[in-house]
Amino acid sequence: MDLRMSIQGDTKEKIDDLSSPLFFVDRPWITIVWDDPVNLMSYVTYVFMSVFEYTKERAEELMLKVHNEGKAVVSSGRREEMERDVQRLHEFGLWATLQRDDQ
Amino acid sequence: MSSESGFTRHGKNSFVATFGKSERDVLINLSEQLIEILAERIDGQATDPLEAMVGFTGQDSPPDDEVLLRLLPNAYADPVDSSEFRRYTESVLREKKRIHALAIRSHLLNSEKHEVALDQESAQAWLGAMNDIRLALGVRLGVDSASHEQLELLAPDDPMRGVYAVFTWLGWLQGTLVDALMNDVEG
Repeated sequence: MDLRMSIQGDTKEKIDDLSSPLFFVDRPWITIVWDDPVNLMSYVTYVFMSVFEYTKERAEELMLKVHNEGKAVVSSGRREEMERDVQRLHEFGLWATLQRDDQ
Repeated sequence: MSSESGFTRHGKNSFVATFGKSERDVLINLSEQLIEILAERIDGQATDPLEAMVGFTGQDSPPDDEVLLRLLPNAYADPVDSSEFRRYTESVLREKKRIHALAIRSHLLNSEKHEVALDQESAQAWLGAMNDIRLALGVRLGVDSASHEQLELLAPDDPMRGVYAVFTWLGWLQGTLVDALMNDVEG
């Protein structure tokens, strides 16, 4: 369905419907780090600590998740924030991508 | 190769390592190669003068070269989003990586008796550049999670054997700097 057409063509009531919090709650965006056979485990932990200011425990937990499961969600939030996170992670050479949280 | 301890912490904000001459030469050479590889992407100049003025190179397609693609990876699975992101960020990322590689080069060229002492900021630059060099070597070596054992068993006359030796040495060196820094982060 074309969202704009339906807003323009429909009643105030319909617009209220669309602007209800449920409709406009934006699914958050997530930053994913993928496993890479080259990056050192201690280095990945260090990067999570310095980019996100996570505790060593949290950073290690995420690093192990990347290592064992092939990927891990390392941060979530607004799209612009996730783009900044991905850019920072790329500066450190980690393999990171962002996407809408599809769960 | 002669440095035995890698990087060690000296006081609050100093990370020190002493290199053998061959180690120093290898590191300078690899940093220069990294700078050259990154420069390959600047050939495609921006056609829009305004974009050129504000520093956008207009590069929005992923690099063909496998090494460059690993150094400057796609941020999105979707190619359209990925191109858009790359267009506005790749030149910044490339410049950061170039500055990191230059840090290794200039510290080593200016070192006395091949000793370098890094503050935290320089240490991060070194870490980034050492990692980028290892990523590049890893692509050339075809390192993946299954192949470390095969690489250990390379024949003595295989030219890749020397590359793999540098790759593992650099990983070890990077690890010593991470450990020294981590103690700092833990406070």
